[in-house]
Amino acid sequence: MHDNAVFSHKVLPFFLLAPQLIITLVFFIWPAGQALYQSFLIEDAFGFSVEFVWFENFIYLLEDPEYWNSVRVTFVFSAMVALVGMILALLLAAMADRVVKGASAYKTLLIWPYAVAPVVAAVLWWLMFNPSMGVLPFWMDAFGYDWNHYVNSGEAMTVVVIASAWKQISYNFLFFLAGLQAIPRSLIEAAAIDGASPFKRFWQIVFPLLSPTAFFLLVVNIVYAFFETFGVIHATTLGGPGSSTKTLVYKVYEDGFVGLDLGGSAAQSVILMIIVITLTVVQFRYVEKKVQY
Amino acid sequence: MATVSLKNINKTYANGHQAIENLNLDITDGEMLVLVGPSGCGKSTSLRMVAGLETITGGDLYIDDVRVNDLEPSERDIAMVFQNYALYPHMTVFQNMAYGLKNRKVPKDEIQKKVEKAAEILEITNLLHNKPGQLSGGQRQRVAMGRAIVRNPKVFLFDEPLSNLDAKLRVQMRIEIKRLQQEFATTAIYVTHDQVEAMTLADRLVVMNEGNVEQVGPPIELYEKPATQFVAGFLGSPAMNFLDASLNGNRLTLSADVVLELNDPNLPADAHDLDVVLGIRPEHMEACEEAEADFTLSVDMIEPLGADTLLYGYFPGTESLITSEQPGKQQFKRGHRLALRVDRERCHLFDKATGKRLGS
Repeated sequence: MHDNAVFSHKVLPFFLLAPQLIITLVFFIWPAGQALYQSFLIEDAFGFSVEFVWFENFIYLLEDPEYWNSVRVTFVFSAMVALVGMILALLLAAMADRVVKGASAYKTLLIWPYAVAPVVAAVLWWLMFNPSMGVLPFWMDAFGYDWNHYVNSGEAMTVVVIASAWKQISYNFLFFLAGLQAIPRSLIEAAAIDGASPFKRFWQIVFPLLSPTAFFLLVVNIVYAFFETFGVIHATTLGGPGSSTKTLVYKVYEDGFVGLDLGGSAAQSVILMIIVITLTVVQFRYVEKKVQY
Repeated sequence: MATVSLKNINKTYANGHQAIENLNLDITDGEMLVLVGPSGCGKSTSLRMVAGLETITGGDLYIDDVRVNDLEPSERDIAMVFQNYALYPHMTVFQNMAYGLKNRKVPKDEIQKKVEKAAEILEITNLLHNKPGQLSGGQRQRVAMGRAIVRNPKVFLFDEPLSNLDAKLRVQMRIEIKRLQQEFATTAIYVTHDQVEAMTLADRLVVMNEGNVEQVGPPIELYEKPATQFVAGFLGSPAMNFLDASLNGNRLTLSADVVLELNDPNLPADAHDLDVVLGIRPEHMEACEEAEADFTLSVDMIEPLGADTLLYGYFPGTESLITSEQPGKQQFKRGHRLALRVDRERCHLFDKATGKRLGS
C-alpha cells in the first residue's frame, strides 16, 4: 500500500490545492500580515504621516488601564457566556435524552436559535430588555425592580451574556445530547444496581464520560465569546455604559474605526491573534490527550 | 442464599405489546436457572424485571419470600453481568469492583480486602490498576464477574455475558462461570440464546418462545423428552428433523412407501389419520443393510466435521430436507444412497395442530 497519493503530473497537485491556498492567503494570511505590520506603525488621524515605531503601540497598550479593564471585561463575559450556555445546554440535553414522545420535535425546536444571526438574537433580547418598552423590565417593575441596562453596568453585562449564551445553547445542546446518547444504557443500569442514586449516577458516571465533550465545548464557547459576539454588543450596549461591556474585540473596532488609532487597534488584533492561536493549540493538545478516560 | 419466585408475571409495554404472559418460575436456593430462546422471546425482559431495570406490569416477584416488585434495583441485593460488561471506562478495575461497596458505605479497609480476594479468585490481581480500555475481552469479562461476586449478593443475573467473546474464550469462560457459581453456591439466572451454553450451564433450563414458557426442566430431560415441537427444534445441534406424517394407532405413515410401526402404549389408541409431525434427531438414524432399512437417503450435500459427518438429502417422496449424522471415519460422496433405519425408541411425535408431544 502506498501511503502517499502519487501524481504523475508535477503541476496538477498545485492546481488542486490552489483554491484553498488562495483563499487562505488572501483572506487570512495577508490581512494578518497587514495587521502585524500596521501594529508597528503610528499614523496620524488624517493619514498624512506614518512612523515606524517598533513595539511602542504594544507598550502603550499594556500600560493603559482602559485596556486592562477591557481584558477583565472580556474574561468575565466569556466565562459567564460559557458557563451559562453550557450548564443550560447540559440540563436541556439531559432532559431531552429522557424524552420518549415527540423527541425529534423537541430537539428541532431547541436547535432553532442556532440559525438566528447574532445581531438578530441581540435585537430580540434588546427589545425584551428595553427599559422603556421591553416586556421584561415591565414585569420586573411589577416586583418593584427598576431595570435599566443603559445606566447599570451589571445589568448591561447580564443582557449581553444572555443574548450571547442563548444562541450558543443550541450548539452545546447538540454536542451534549450526542455525548449522552453515546453512553451505553447498561452503564447507568449497572450503577443503579451498584446502589448509586440518580444524582451520583450523573456526577460519577455520566459526567466523567461527557468530560471530553465538555472540554471541547468550553474552548469553542470561549472562542465564540471572545471573537463572535461583536454583533451582540454592537446591537445592544455599544460597549457601555462606560466601558463595562467593552470586550477586546469591541475595543479593536472602537479604537480603530471610531478613534482612528490604526496602529493601536492593529496591536490589539495581534494580541487577539496570539490568544486564539493559544486556545487552538490547547484544544488540539489536550482534547485528545488529557481529558480522556 | 436465596430463592426467587415469579408469580403470574406480566409485562405489557406502553404501546400495548405484551412481552411476557403469566410467567411462573420458582428458583431454588443455589440453583442455576438458564432462560433460553430465540431473540424477542422475552428472556431478557424477564431477567431485567428480576433486576428491577424494567417495571413489572402484573404479578408478584419474590426474593427470599419478600415481595420486591417496588424495590429499587440496588435494594434487591442482586448483581448483574451485562452483555457489553458495562464497566465504568473512567475508573480503574479496582474502582469498578469497589463502586458498589463504596455506595453501600462499606469501610475502606474492608473494601480493599474484598476486592483483593475477588481479584485473586478471578486471577486479575495484576490488572487492578488498569482501566477497562486497556483490557482484552476476556479480562473485561472477568472484571464484570468480579464486580458481581465482590458484593456477595443473593442472586447473580447474567444477560448473555459470553456473546461478545470469540468461540474459544467463550468455552473457557463458560466453564469458569459454572465453577464460580458452584463455588459460591449463589442462586443464578442466566439468559442466553446459545443452546450449547444453555445445556452445559443449566441446573434447570427454561425454554421460552414469544413471551411464554414452553418447558422447564433439567437439560437432559428437555433434550430427551421435549414437550413441544418448538423445544425439540430449538435444542440440539444439528437440529432435529421434522417430517409430516399421519398416525393410525401405532402405525405412522410418512409417505406412500415409508410406514413405521411404533411400539408406544401411550399413543392415543383411537388415532385415526391424525396429522402429526415426526421428530427424529440426525444421530438417531443408523446406517444399515438395505433389507433392514426404513428408507434410503440420496445424499445431496456433505459436511465433514471430523468426528462426525453430516449428510443432507430429501426424504424420499417428499420435499423435506433432512440431516443424518454418521461417524466421521466413513467416506461419502454426493449422490451416495444411504440406507437408514430410524431408532423407534427415540422417535418424537407432535400433534401437528397444537405442537404438543404425543405418547411417551
